[in-house]
Amino acid sequence: MFVSSGDLTAAAVRKGVRIMAISKTEIEKLAKLAKLSFTDEELERFTAEFDEIIAFADTVNQSIEGGTEQIRSVDARMVSFDDLRPDEVVPSLPNDKILSNVEGYNGFFKVERSKK
Amino acid sequence: MNYEIVCGIETHIELATKTKIFCGCTTEFGGEPNTHCCPVCTGQPGSLPILNQKVVEYAIKAGLALNCKINTKSHMDRKNYVYPDLPKAYQISQYDEPLCEKGYIELDSGKRIGITRIHIEEDAGKLIHESGLTYIDYNRSGVPLIEIVSEPDISSAEEAKEYAEKLQLIMRYIGISDCKMQEGSMRCDVNLSLRKPGDPRFGVRTEIKNINSLSFIQKAVMAEAERQADILDAGGTVVQQTMRYDEGTNSVTPMRDKENSDDYRYFPDPDILRFCVDDKKVEEIRESLPELPFDKLKRYMNVLGLSEATAKQIFRYRMVAEFFEDTLAEGASVKNTANLIVVTIFSNMDTEEEKELFAIRISAAQFAALVKLADEKKINIGVAQSTLQKMLESGKPVEEFIKPEDLVGISDEALESLCKEAIDANPEAAANVRNGKDKAINVMFGYIMKKTGGKADIRKAEVLLRKLIRQ
Repeated sequence: MFVSSGDLTAAAVRKGVRIMAISKTEIEKLAKLAKLSFTDEELERFTAEFDEIIAFADTVNQSIEGGTEQIRSVDARMVSFDDLRPDEVVPSLPNDKILSNVEGYNGFFKVERSKK
Repeated sequence: MNYEIVCGIETHIELATKTKIFCGCTTEFGGEPNTHCCPVCTGQPGSLPILNQKVVEYAIKAGLALNCKINTKSHMDRKNYVYPDLPKAYQISQYDEPLCEKGYIELDSGKRIGITRIHIEEDAGKLIHESGLTYIDYNRSGVPLIEIVSEPDISSAEEAKEYAEKLQLIMRYIGISDCKMQEGSMRCDVNLSLRKPGDPRFGVRTEIKNINSLSFIQKAVMAEAERQADILDAGGTVVQQTMRYDEGTNSVTPMRDKENSDDYRYFPDPDILRFCVDDKKVEEIRESLPELPFDKLKRYMNVLGLSEATAKQIFRYRMVAEFFEDTLAEGASVKNTANLIVVTIFSNMDTEEEKELFAIRISAAQFAALVKLADEKKINIGVAQSTLQKMLESGKPVEEFIKPEDLVGISDEALESLCKEAIDANPEAAANVRNGKDKAINVMFGYIMKKTGGKADIRKAEVLLRKLIRQ
Protein backbone atom coordinates (compact mmCIF):
# COMPACT_ATOMS: atom_id res chain seq x y z
CA MET A 1 0.00 0.00 0.00
CA PHE A 2 2.72 2.46 1.00
CA VAL A 3 4.95 1.55 -1.89
CA SER A 4 2.31 1.95 -4.55
CA SER A 5 0.77 5.19 -3.37
CA GLY A 6 4.25 6.47 -2.50
CA ASP A 7 5.54 5.76 -6.00
CA LEU A 8 2.54 7.55 -7.37
CA THR A 9 3.28 10.57 -5.23
CA ALA A 10 6.94 10.57 -6.23
CA ALA A 11 5.98 10.55 -9.89
CA ALA A 12 3.53 13.37 -9.28
CA VAL A 13 6.11 15.38 -7.38
CA ARG A 14 8.56 15.01 -10.27
CA LYS A 15 5.91 16.40 -12.57
CA GLY A 16 5.39 19.26 -10.15
CA VAL A 17 1.95 18.09 -9.08
CA ARG A 18 1.29 17.34 -5.46
CA ILE A 19 -1.38 14.69 -4.72
CA MET A 20 -2.20 13.16 -1.36
CA ALA A 21 -0.11 10.05 -0.59
CA ILE A 22 -2.67 8.64 1.77
CA SER A 23 -6.42 9.01 2.13
CA LYS A 24 -8.55 9.47 5.20
CA THR A 25 -10.18 6.06 4.54
CA GLU A 26 -6.77 4.42 4.68
CA ILE A 27 -6.00 6.11 7.98
CA GLU A 28 -9.33 4.88 9.32
CA LYS A 29 -8.47 1.35 8.25
CA LEU A 30 -5.03 1.52 9.88
CA ALA A 31 -6.57 2.85 13.09
CA LYS A 32 -8.99 -0.06 13.11
CA LEU A 33 -6.16 -2.56 12.57
CA ALA A 34 -4.19 -0.97 15.40
CA LYS A 35 -7.33 -1.08 17.56
CA LEU A 36 -7.27 2.72 18.04
CA SER A 37 -10.22 5.06 17.81
CA PHE A 38 -10.07 8.72 16.81
CA THR A 39 -12.45 11.61 16.48
CA ASP A 40 -13.12 12.95 13.01
CA GLU A 41 -10.99 15.98 13.75
CA GLU A 42 -8.06 13.79 14.82
CA LEU A 43 -8.41 11.68 11.68
CA GLU A 44 -8.17 14.79 9.51
CA ARG A 45 -5.07 15.93 11.35
CA PHE A 46 -3.38 12.49 11.18
CA THR A 47 -4.13 12.18 7.49
CA ALA A 48 -2.29 15.42 6.83
CA GLU A 49 0.62 14.44 9.10
CA PHE A 50 0.91 10.97 7.56
CA ASP A 51 0.91 12.53 4.15
CA GLU A 52 3.86 14.74 5.03
CA ILE A 53 5.79 11.81 6.52
CA ILE A 54 5.25 9.68 3.43
CA ALA A 55 6.16 12.54 1.13
CA PHE A 56 9.41 12.89 3.07
CA ALA A 57 10.14 9.17 2.86
CA ASP A 58 9.50 9.35 -0.85
CA THR A 59 12.53 11.59 -1.34
CA VAL A 60 14.45 8.28 -1.21
CA ASN A 61 12.66 7.21 -4.35
CA GLN A 62 13.70 10.37 -6.13
CA SER A 63 17.36 9.94 -5.26
CA ILE A 64 17.63 6.35 -6.48
CA GLU A 65 17.12 5.31 -10.06
CA GLY A 66 14.36 2.69 -10.04
CA GLY A 67 13.09 3.60 -6.55
CA THR A 68 12.99 1.37 -3.46
CA GLU A 69 12.35 -1.75 -5.57
CA GLN A 70 15.83 -1.27 -6.97
CA ILE A 71 17.41 -1.35 -3.50
CA ARG A 72 15.89 -4.72 -2.81
CA SER A 73 16.95 -6.31 -6.05
CA VAL A 74 20.61 -5.41 -5.99
CA ASP A 75 22.39 -8.78 -6.14
CA ALA A 76 25.31 -7.48 -4.09
CA ARG A 77 22.97 -7.30 -1.11
CA MET A 78 22.12 -10.96 -1.33
CA VAL A 79 23.58 -13.76 0.75
CA SER A 80 24.29 -17.19 -0.69
CA PHE A 81 23.16 -20.51 0.77
CA ASP A 82 26.60 -21.14 2.25
CA ASP A 83 26.45 -17.88 4.21
CA LEU A 84 23.26 -18.84 6.04
CA ARG A 85 23.40 -19.82 9.71
CA PRO A 86 24.48 -23.44 10.42
CA ASP A 87 21.87 -25.47 12.32
CA GLU A 88 23.74 -25.61 15.65
CA VAL A 89 22.07 -25.18 19.02
CA VAL A 90 23.28 -22.35 21.25
CA PRO A 91 22.10 -22.02 24.86
CA SER A 92 18.85 -20.09 25.35
CA LEU A 93 18.47 -17.40 27.99
CA PRO A 94 17.46 -18.45 31.50
CA ASN A 95 13.73 -18.08 32.17
CA ASP A 96 14.18 -15.28 34.73
CA LYS A 97 16.13 -13.22 32.18
CA ILE A 98 13.42 -13.75 29.56
CA LEU A 99 10.78 -12.61 32.05
CA SER A 100 12.88 -9.84 33.64
CA ASN A 101 10.90 -6.96 32.13
CA VAL A 102 7.42 -8.41 32.39
CA GLU A 103 5.00 -9.79 34.88
CA GLY A 104 5.47 -13.54 34.77
CA TYR A 105 3.66 -16.42 36.39
CA ASN A 106 5.22 -19.87 36.85
CA GLY A 107 7.58 -19.22 33.97
CA PHE A 108 4.83 -17.93 31.66
CA PHE A 109 4.25 -14.44 30.34
CA LYS A 110 0.99 -13.20 31.81
CA VAL A 111 -1.27 -10.81 29.90
CA GLU A 112 -4.89 -9.78 29.94
CA ARG A 113 -7.12 -12.32 28.30
CA SER A 114 -6.80 -12.04 24.55
CA LYS A 115 -8.85 -14.21 22.31
CA LYS A 116 -9.25 -13.90 18.59
CA MET B 1 -29.43 -30.03 -6.46
CA ASN B 2 -26.02 -31.52 -7.14
CA TYR B 3 -22.90 -29.49 -6.61
CA GLU B 4 -19.26 -29.91 -7.43
CA ILE B 5 -16.75 -29.62 -4.57
CA VAL B 6 -13.87 -27.20 -5.16
CA CYS B 7 -11.30 -27.75 -2.43
CA GLY B 8 -7.72 -26.75 -1.72
CA ILE B 9 -5.59 -27.63 1.30
CA GLU B 10 -2.97 -25.57 3.12
CA THR B 11 -0.63 -27.73 5.15
CA HIS B 12 1.75 -26.51 7.84
CA ILE B 13 4.62 -28.86 8.59
CA GLU B 14 7.13 -28.38 11.41
CA LEU B 15 10.64 -29.01 10.15
CA ALA B 16 12.89 -31.39 12.09
CA THR B 17 15.80 -28.97 12.39
CA LYS B 18 17.79 -28.77 15.62
CA THR B 19 17.38 -25.01 15.97
CA LYS B 20 14.70 -22.41 15.32
CA ILE B 21 14.41 -20.62 12.00
CA PHE B 22 16.08 -17.35 13.02
CA CYS B 23 18.05 -18.17 16.20
CA GLY B 24 20.06 -20.97 17.79
CA CYS B 25 17.42 -21.94 20.39
CA THR B 26 16.48 -25.61 20.39
CA THR B 27 13.30 -26.77 18.67
CA GLU B 28 12.87 -29.63 21.13
CA PHE B 29 9.21 -30.27 21.93
CA GLY B 30 8.00 -29.40 25.44
CA GLY B 31 10.39 -28.17 28.12
CA GLU B 32 9.55 -25.78 30.95
CA PRO B 33 7.73 -22.68 29.60
CA ASN B 34 9.95 -19.98 28.07
CA THR B 35 13.20 -21.89 28.50
CA HIS B 36 13.89 -22.34 24.76
CA CYS B 37 13.88 -18.59 24.18
CA CYS B 38 16.26 -15.76 23.43
CA PRO B 39 15.98 -12.08 22.42
CA VAL B 40 15.35 -13.05 18.77
CA CYS B 41 12.43 -15.45 19.24
CA THR B 42 10.82 -13.25 21.88
CA GLY B 43 11.03 -10.26 19.53
CA GLN B 44 13.20 -7.97 21.66
CA PRO B 45 14.03 -4.62 20.08
CA GLY B 46 17.45 -4.59 18.45
CA SER B 47 17.72 -8.37 18.06
CA LEU B 48 18.70 -9.65 14.64
CA PRO B 49 17.16 -12.76 13.06
CA ILE B 50 19.54 -14.90 10.94
CA LEU B 51 18.08 -17.54 8.64
CA ASN B 52 18.86 -21.19 9.39
CA GLN B 53 20.49 -22.94 6.42
CA LYS B 54 18.84 -26.27 7.20
CA VAL B 55 15.39 -24.70 6.90
CA VAL B 56 16.13 -23.62 3.33
CA GLU B 57 17.60 -27.04 2.51
CA TYR B 58 14.60 -28.92 3.93
CA ALA B 59 12.09 -26.67 2.15
CA ILE B 60 13.91 -27.24 -1.14
CA LYS B 61 13.89 -31.00 -0.45
CA ALA B 62 10.13 -30.80 0.02
CA GLY B 63 9.79 -28.81 -3.18
CA LEU B 64 11.85 -31.26 -5.23
CA ALA B 65 9.94 -34.25 -3.81
CA LEU B 66 6.67 -32.54 -4.82
CA ASN B 67 7.85 -31.77 -8.37
CA CYS B 68 8.16 -28.02 -7.74
CA LYS B 69 10.18 -25.39 -9.50
CA ILE B 70 12.76 -24.00 -7.04
CA ASN B 71 13.18 -20.24 -6.93
CA THR B 72 16.91 -19.73 -6.60
CA LYS B 73 16.34 -16.19 -5.31
CA SER B 74 14.02 -15.67 -2.39
CA HIS B 75 13.37 -13.36 0.54
CA MET B 76 11.41 -13.13 3.79
CA ASP B 77 8.41 -10.85 4.37
CA ARG B 78 6.69 -9.53 7.45
CA LYS B 79 3.07 -10.56 7.86
CA ASN B 80 1.54 -8.11 10.30
CA TYR B 81 -1.02 -9.10 12.85
CA VAL B 82 -1.60 -8.14 16.43
CA TYR B 83 -1.98 -11.17 18.64
CA PRO B 84 0.21 -12.18 21.59
CA ASP B 85 1.19 -15.61 20.16
CA LEU B 86 3.84 -13.69 18.20
CA PRO B 87 5.66 -11.13 20.34
CA LYS B 88 6.83 -8.98 17.41
CA ALA B 89 3.25 -8.29 16.18
CA TYR B 90 4.31 -9.79 12.87
CA GLN B 91 5.23 -13.22 11.62
CA ILE B 92 8.27 -13.60 9.38
CA SER B 93 6.99 -15.49 6.37
CA GLN B 94 7.25 -15.36 2.58
CA TYR B 95 4.80 -13.58 0.30
CA ASP B 96 5.73 -12.93 -3.30
CA GLU B 97 8.96 -14.92 -3.59
CA PRO B 98 8.29 -18.36 -2.04
CA LEU B 99 11.11 -20.91 -2.23
CA CYS B 100 9.14 -23.42 -4.30
CA GLU B 101 6.28 -23.14 -6.80
CA LYS B 102 4.17 -25.11 -9.27
CA GLY B 103 4.46 -28.74 -8.23
CA TYR B 104 1.98 -31.57 -7.91
CA ILE B 105 1.00 -34.77 -6.11
CA GLU B 106 -0.38 -37.59 -8.21
CA LEU B 107 -3.36 -39.50 -6.82
CA ASP B 108 -3.90 -43.24 -7.42
CA SER B 109 -6.41 -42.35 -10.13
CA GLY B 110 -3.66 -40.56 -12.05
CA LYS B 111 -5.24 -37.16 -11.32
CA ARG B 112 -2.70 -34.52 -10.32
CA ILE B 113 -3.37 -32.10 -7.49
CA GLY B 114 -1.34 -28.97 -8.15
CA ILE B 115 0.95 -27.48 -5.51
CA THR B 116 0.76 -23.71 -5.82
CA ARG B 117 3.68 -22.90 -3.57
CA ILE B 118 5.80 -23.90 -0.59
CA HIS B 119 7.16 -21.18 1.64
CA ILE B 120 9.09 -21.05 4.91
CA GLU B 121 7.94 -19.22 8.03
CA GLU B 122 8.09 -19.21 11.82
CA ASP B 123 5.64 -20.92 14.16
CA ALA B 124 3.87 -18.94 16.90
CA GLY B 125 3.94 -19.40 20.67
CA LYS B 126 1.36 -21.24 22.71
CA LEU B 127 -1.38 -19.39 24.60
CA ILE B 128 -3.30 -20.74 27.57
CA HIS B 129 -6.48 -18.82 28.38
CA GLU B 130 -7.55 -19.15 31.98
CA SER B 131 -9.84 -17.16 34.28
CA GLY B 132 -9.69 -13.88 32.42
CA LEU B 133 -5.95 -14.05 31.79
CA THR B 134 -3.70 -15.37 29.05
CA TYR B 135 -0.46 -17.23 29.82
CA ILE B 136 2.15 -17.37 27.07
CA ASP B 137 4.90 -19.88 26.36
CA TYR B 138 7.23 -18.86 23.51
CA ASN B 139 9.17 -22.14 23.31
CA ARG B 140 7.44 -22.90 19.98
CA SER B 141 7.82 -19.33 18.74
CA GLY B 142 10.30 -19.40 15.86
CA VAL B 143 10.16 -23.16 15.24
CA PRO B 144 10.50 -23.50 11.45
CA LEU B 145 7.47 -24.37 9.35
CA ILE B 146 6.83 -24.93 5.71
CA GLU B 147 3.41 -24.09 4.38
CA ILE B 148 2.38 -26.18 1.38
CA VAL B 149 -0.52 -24.66 -0.55
CA SER B 150 -2.44 -26.80 -3.02
CA GLU B 151 -4.43 -25.64 -6.02
CA PRO B 152 -8.23 -25.98 -5.65
CA ASP B 153 -8.01 -29.22 -7.66
CA ILE B 154 -9.50 -31.49 -5.01
CA SER B 155 -13.08 -32.46 -5.80
CA SER B 156 -14.10 -35.01 -3.17
CA ALA B 157 -13.60 -35.90 0.50
CA GLU B 158 -11.70 -39.04 -0.55
CA GLU B 159 -9.33 -37.04 -2.74
CA ALA B 160 -8.73 -34.62 0.14
CA LYS B 161 -7.74 -37.48 2.42
CA GLU B 162 -5.58 -39.17 -0.21
CA TYR B 163 -3.78 -35.89 -0.94
CA ALA B 164 -2.94 -35.33 2.75
CA GLU B 165 -1.96 -38.97 3.24
CA LYS B 166 0.44 -38.92 0.28
CA LEU B 167 1.88 -35.58 1.34
CA GLN B 168 2.53 -36.94 4.84
CA LEU B 169 4.21 -40.08 3.51
CA ILE B 170 6.48 -38.17 1.12
CA MET B 171 7.53 -35.69 3.82
CA ARG B 172 8.32 -38.52 6.24
CA TYR B 173 10.36 -40.35 3.59
CA ILE B 174 12.57 -37.38 2.84
CA GLY B 175 13.14 -37.01 6.58
CA ILE B 176 12.25 -33.35 7.02
CA SER B 177 9.46 -33.86 9.58
CA ASP B 178 7.77 -36.60 11.58
CA CYS B 179 4.41 -35.15 10.41
CA LYS B 180 2.51 -36.25 13.53
CA MET B 181 -0.93 -34.72 13.09
CA GLN B 182 -2.06 -35.48 16.64
CA GLU B 183 1.02 -33.66 18.02
CA GLY B 184 0.65 -30.72 15.66
CA SER B 185 3.79 -31.22 13.57
CA MET B 186 1.45 -31.44 10.56
CA ARG B 187 -1.73 -29.32 10.47
CA CYS B 188 -4.19 -28.91 7.63
CA ASP B 189 -6.52 -26.03 6.73
CA VAL B 190 -9.18 -26.92 4.18
CA ASN B 191 -10.64 -24.31 1.80
CA LEU B 192 -13.93 -25.34 0.28
CA SER B 193 -16.64 -23.99 -1.97
CA LEU B 194 -19.38 -25.50 -4.09
CA ARG B 195 -20.48 -24.75 -7.63
CA LYS B 196 -22.89 -26.16 -10.17
CA PRO B 197 -21.22 -28.74 -12.41
CA GLY B 198 -19.67 -27.07 -15.43
CA ASP B 199 -19.78 -23.59 -13.94
CA PRO B 200 -16.34 -21.99 -14.43
CA ARG B 201 -16.90 -19.52 -11.59
CA PHE B 202 -15.96 -20.35 -8.00
CA GLY B 203 -18.56 -20.15 -5.24
CA VAL B 204 -17.96 -18.39 -1.91
CA ARG B 205 -15.45 -20.41 0.09
CA THR B 206 -14.94 -21.12 3.76
CA GLU B 207 -11.77 -22.20 5.50
CA ILE B 208 -11.74 -25.00 8.07
CA LYS B 209 -8.75 -24.45 10.34
CA ASN B 210 -6.31 -26.81 12.04
CA ILE B 211 -7.61 -30.26 11.27
CA ASN B 212 -5.50 -32.75 13.19
CA SER B 213 -6.13 -36.18 11.68
CA LEU B 214 -6.37 -37.67 8.21
CA SER B 215 -9.81 -39.15 8.73
CA PHE B 216 -11.07 -35.81 10.11
CA ILE B 217 -10.03 -34.17 6.83
CA GLN B 218 -12.34 -36.51 4.94
CA LYS B 219 -15.16 -36.06 7.45
CA ALA B 220 -14.75 -32.28 7.62
CA VAL B 221 -14.92 -31.96 3.81
CA MET B 222 -18.10 -34.04 3.75
CA ALA B 223 -19.70 -32.12 6.61
CA GLU B 224 -18.85 -28.70 5.16
CA ALA B 225 -19.97 -29.66 1.63
CA GLU B 226 -23.32 -30.79 3.06
CA ARG B 227 -23.67 -27.62 5.13
CA GLN B 228 -23.01 -25.39 2.12
CA ALA B 229 -25.31 -27.46 -0.12
CA ASP B 230 -28.14 -27.04 2.41
CA ILE B 231 -27.64 -23.26 2.40
CA LEU B 232 -27.57 -23.07 -1.41
CA ASP B 233 -30.56 -25.41 -1.78
CA ALA B 234 -32.56 -23.14 0.53
CA GLY B 235 -31.73 -20.21 -1.76
CA GLY B 236 -29.22 -18.69 0.68
CA THR B 237 -25.64 -17.57 0.20
CA VAL B 238 -22.54 -18.97 1.86
CA VAL B 239 -20.70 -16.48 4.07
CA GLN B 240 -16.93 -16.32 3.74
CA GLN B 241 -15.83 -17.49 7.17
CA THR B 242 -13.21 -19.35 9.14
CA MET B 243 -14.67 -22.57 10.46
CA ARG B 244 -13.79 -25.20 13.02
CA TYR B 245 -14.45 -28.93 12.64
CA ASP B 246 -15.78 -30.63 15.78
CA GLU B 247 -15.08 -34.36 15.71
CA GLY B 248 -17.48 -35.05 18.60
CA THR B 249 -20.53 -33.83 16.71
CA ASN B 250 -19.01 -34.30 13.21
CA SER B 251 -20.04 -30.76 12.38
CA VAL B 252 -18.46 -27.57 11.12
CA THR B 253 -19.10 -24.30 12.98
CA PRO B 254 -17.88 -20.72 12.44
CA MET B 255 -14.84 -19.54 14.42
CA ARG B 256 -14.84 -15.91 13.36
CA ASP B 257 -15.71 -13.84 10.32
CA LYS B 258 -13.00 -13.13 7.79
CA GLU B 259 -12.73 -9.49 8.68
CA ASN B 260 -10.53 -6.59 7.95
CA SER B 261 -7.77 -7.83 10.22
CA ASP B 262 -6.79 -10.25 7.48
CA ASP B 263 -5.13 -7.37 5.71
CA TYR B 264 -1.64 -8.47 6.68
CA ARG B 265 0.24 -5.59 5.04
CA TYR B 266 3.09 -7.79 3.84
CA PHE B 267 6.41 -6.13 3.13
CA PRO B 268 10.00 -7.40 2.79
CA ASP B 269 11.66 -7.87 6.18
CA PRO B 270 14.47 -5.31 6.23
CA ASP B 271 16.39 -7.29 8.90
CA ILE B 272 16.93 -10.32 6.66
CA LEU B 273 18.89 -10.13 3.45
CA ARG B 274 17.53 -11.65 0.29
CA PHE B 275 19.19 -15.00 -0.32
CA CYS B 276 20.07 -17.15 -3.30
CA VAL B 277 20.59 -20.86 -3.74
CA ASP B 278 22.49 -21.63 -6.92
CA ASP B 279 21.52 -24.40 -9.34
CA LYS B 280 24.49 -26.50 -8.27
CA LYS B 281 23.26 -26.51 -4.68
CA VAL B 282 19.73 -27.41 -5.80
CA GLU B 283 21.15 -30.35 -7.78
CA GLU B 284 23.17 -31.42 -4.74
CA ILE B 285 19.98 -31.43 -2.67
CA ARG B 286 18.13 -33.32 -5.40
CA GLU B 287 20.81 -36.01 -5.36
CA SER B 288 20.51 -36.33 -1.58
CA LEU B 289 16.83 -37.31 -1.87
CA PRO B 290 16.08 -40.95 -1.09
CA GLU B 291 13.95 -43.12 -3.37
CA LEU B 292 10.49 -41.58 -3.04
CA PRO B 293 7.68 -43.72 -1.62
CA PHE B 294 5.63 -44.22 -4.76
CA ASP B 295 8.70 -45.09 -6.83
CA LYS B 296 9.52 -47.62 -4.14
CA LEU B 297 6.03 -49.09 -4.25
CA LYS B 298 6.27 -49.54 -8.01
CA ARG B 299 9.68 -51.19 -7.69
CA TYR B 300 8.45 -53.57 -4.96
CA MET B 301 5.66 -54.72 -7.25
CA ASN B 302 7.31 -54.63 -10.67
CA VAL B 303 10.90 -55.54 -9.88
CA LEU B 304 10.71 -57.51 -6.63
CA GLY B 305 7.41 -59.14 -7.59
CA LEU B 306 5.56 -58.46 -4.32
CA SER B 307 1.78 -58.48 -4.39
CA GLU B 308 0.19 -55.03 -4.25
CA ALA B 309 -1.25 -55.73 -0.79
CA THR B 310 2.09 -56.78 0.69
CA ALA B 311 4.07 -54.04 -1.06
CA LYS B 312 1.65 -51.42 0.27
CA GLN B 313 1.99 -52.68 3.84
CA ILE B 314 5.78 -52.43 3.72
CA PHE B 315 6.40 -49.22 1.75
CA ARG B 316 4.14 -47.00 3.82
CA TYR B 317 6.48 -47.03 6.82
CA ARG B 318 9.93 -45.73 6.04
CA MET B 319 11.66 -47.70 8.81
CA VAL B 320 9.96 -50.93 7.76
CA ALA B 321 10.98 -50.43 4.14
CA GLU B 322 14.57 -49.85 5.26
CA PHE B 323 14.55 -52.98 7.42
CA PHE B 324 13.06 -54.99 4.55
CA GLU B 325 15.71 -53.81 2.11
CA ASP B 326 18.56 -54.32 4.63
CA THR B 327 17.37 -57.91 5.11
CA LEU B 328 17.34 -58.51 1.35
CA ALA B 329 20.86 -57.08 1.18
CA GLU B 330 21.92 -59.86 3.59
CA GLY B 331 20.81 -62.40 1.00
CA ALA B 332 17.34 -63.32 2.29
CA SER B 333 14.55 -64.03 -0.22
CA VAL B 334 11.98 -61.38 -1.07
CA LYS B 335 8.92 -63.51 -0.46
CA ASN B 336 9.83 -65.00 2.92
CA THR B 337 11.22 -61.69 4.20
CA ALA B 338 8.09 -59.78 3.22
CA ASN B 339 5.72 -62.41 4.60
CA LEU B 340 7.51 -62.74 7.93
CA ILE B 341 7.45 -58.94 8.37
CA VAL B 342 3.79 -58.59 7.49
CA VAL B 343 2.54 -61.68 9.32
CA THR B 344 4.76 -62.08 12.37
CA ILE B 345 6.45 -58.75 13.08
CA PHE B 346 3.33 -56.67 12.40
CA SER B 347 1.24 -58.94 14.63
CA ASN B 348 3.26 -57.45 17.50
CA MET B 349 2.39 -53.91 16.47
CA ASP B 350 -1.17 -52.78 17.01
CA THR B 351 -0.94 -49.12 16.08
CA GLU B 352 0.23 -47.10 13.10
CA GLU B 353 2.65 -45.30 15.43
CA GLU B 354 4.35 -48.56 16.40
CA LYS B 355 4.84 -49.50 12.75
CA GLU B 356 6.07 -45.99 12.02
CA LEU B 357 8.65 -46.22 14.84
CA PHE B 358 9.41 -49.90 14.12
CA ALA B 359 11.43 -50.34 17.31
CA ILE B 360 12.33 -54.04 17.20
CA ARG B 361 14.93 -55.96 19.16
CA ILE B 362 16.66 -57.77 16.32
CA SER B 363 18.86 -56.48 13.52
CA ALA B 364 18.25 -56.98 9.82
CA ALA B 365 21.26 -59.35 9.76
CA GLN B 366 19.78 -61.48 12.56
CA PHE B 367 16.43 -61.52 10.80
CA ALA B 368 18.10 -62.49 7.52
CA ALA B 369 19.84 -65.45 9.23
CA LEU B 370 16.42 -66.82 10.15
CA VAL B 371 14.81 -66.09 6.79
CA LYS B 372 17.64 -67.87 4.99
CA LEU B 373 16.97 -71.07 6.99
CA ALA B 374 13.42 -70.95 5.65
CA ASP B 375 14.68 -70.11 2.15
CA GLU B 376 16.90 -73.19 2.22
CA LYS B 377 13.95 -75.23 3.49
CA LYS B 378 15.91 -76.19 6.60
CA ILE B 379 12.92 -75.07 8.63
CA ASN B 380 9.33 -74.73 7.51
CA ILE B 381 7.51 -71.42 7.58
CA GLY B 382 5.61 -72.28 10.78
CA VAL B 383 8.84 -72.84 12.67
CA ALA B 384 10.27 -69.67 11.15
CA GLN B 385 7.28 -67.73 12.45
CA SER B 386 7.38 -69.14 15.97
CA THR B 387 11.16 -68.74 16.17
CA LEU B 388 10.91 -65.17 14.94
CA GLN B 389 8.36 -64.44 17.64
CA LYS B 390 10.81 -65.75 20.28
CA MET B 391 13.61 -63.67 18.76
CA LEU B 392 11.44 -60.53 18.86
CA GLU B 393 10.53 -61.12 22.48
CA SER B 394 14.06 -61.86 23.67
CA GLY B 395 16.21 -59.89 21.24
CA LYS B 396 18.35 -63.04 20.88
CA PRO B 397 19.69 -64.43 17.57
CA VAL B 398 18.29 -67.48 15.80
CA GLU B 399 21.05 -69.82 17.08
CA GLU B 400 19.58 -69.46 20.58
CA PHE B 401 16.45 -71.26 19.46
CA ILE B 402 17.46 -73.51 16.59
CA LYS B 403 20.50 -75.74 17.18
CA PRO B 404 22.49 -77.05 14.21
CA GLU B 405 21.37 -80.59 15.04
CA ASP B 406 17.73 -79.49 14.69
CA LEU B 407 18.43 -78.56 11.14
CA VAL B 408 19.08 -82.06 9.85
CA GLY B 409 16.27 -82.42 7.40
CA ILE B 410 13.84 -85.32 7.49
CA SER B 411 14.51 -87.70 4.61
CA ASP B 412 11.71 -88.56 2.19
CA GLU B 413 11.75 -92.16 3.38
CA ALA B 414 11.48 -91.14 7.01
CA LEU B 415 8.64 -88.80 6.16
CA GLU B 416 6.78 -91.51 4.25
CA SER B 417 7.00 -93.94 7.12
CA LEU B 418 5.90 -91.21 9.50
CA CYS B 419 2.86 -90.60 7.31
CA LYS B 420 1.99 -94.29 7.40
CA GLU B 421 2.37 -94.20 11.14
CA ALA B 422 0.07 -91.18 11.34
CA ILE B 423 -2.63 -92.95 9.33
CA ASP B 424 -2.37 -96.14 11.38
CA ALA B 425 -2.61 -94.18 14.58
CA ASN B 426 -5.69 -92.28 13.39
CA PRO B 427 -7.82 -94.75 11.38
CA GLU B 428 -11.02 -92.80 11.96
CA ALA B 429 -9.56 -89.52 10.64
CA ALA B 430 -8.13 -91.32 7.62
CA ALA B 431 -11.57 -92.82 6.88
CA ASN B 432 -13.14 -89.36 7.18
CA VAL B 433 -10.69 -87.93 4.63
CA ARG B 434 -11.47 -90.82 2.32
CA ASN B 435 -15.20 -89.98 2.67
CA GLY B 436 -14.64 -86.33 1.70
CA LYS B 437 -14.25 -84.68 5.13
CA ASP B 438 -11.07 -82.99 4.05
CA LYS B 439 -10.44 -81.12 7.28
CA ALA B 440 -9.78 -84.39 9.05
CA ILE B 441 -6.32 -84.42 7.46
CA ASN B 442 -5.28 -81.88 10.13
CA VAL B 443 -5.29 -84.68 12.69
CA MET B 444 -2.52 -86.42 10.75
CA PHE B 445 -0.62 -83.14 10.30
CA GLY B 446 -0.72 -82.64 14.04
CA TYR B 447 0.68 -86.10 14.62
CA ILE B 448 3.57 -85.58 12.20
CA MET B 449 4.42 -82.12 13.53
CA LYS B 450 4.44 -83.38 17.09
CA LYS B 451 6.73 -86.25 16.22
CA THR B 452 9.18 -84.02 14.30
CA GLY B 453 9.06 -80.99 16.54
CA GLY B 454 7.53 -78.98 13.72
CA LYS B 455 10.38 -79.68 11.32
CA ALA B 456 8.54 -81.74 8.69
CA ASP B 457 7.78 -80.16 5.32
CA ILE B 458 4.05 -79.93 5.57
CA ARG B 459 3.40 -79.67 1.83
CA LYS B 460 5.36 -82.81 1.10
CA ALA B 461 3.58 -84.56 3.96
CA GLU B 462 0.21 -83.57 2.54
CA VAL B 463 1.00 -85.08 -0.88
CA LEU B 464 2.22 -88.28 0.75
CA LEU B 465 -0.75 -88.54 3.11
CA ARG B 466 -3.31 -88.11 0.33
CA LYS B 467 -1.50 -90.72 -1.79
CA LEU B 468 -1.38 -93.21 1.09
CA ILE B 469 -5.01 -92.62 2.14
CA ARG B 470 -6.26 -93.24 -1.40
CA GLN B 471 -4.37 -96.60 -1.61
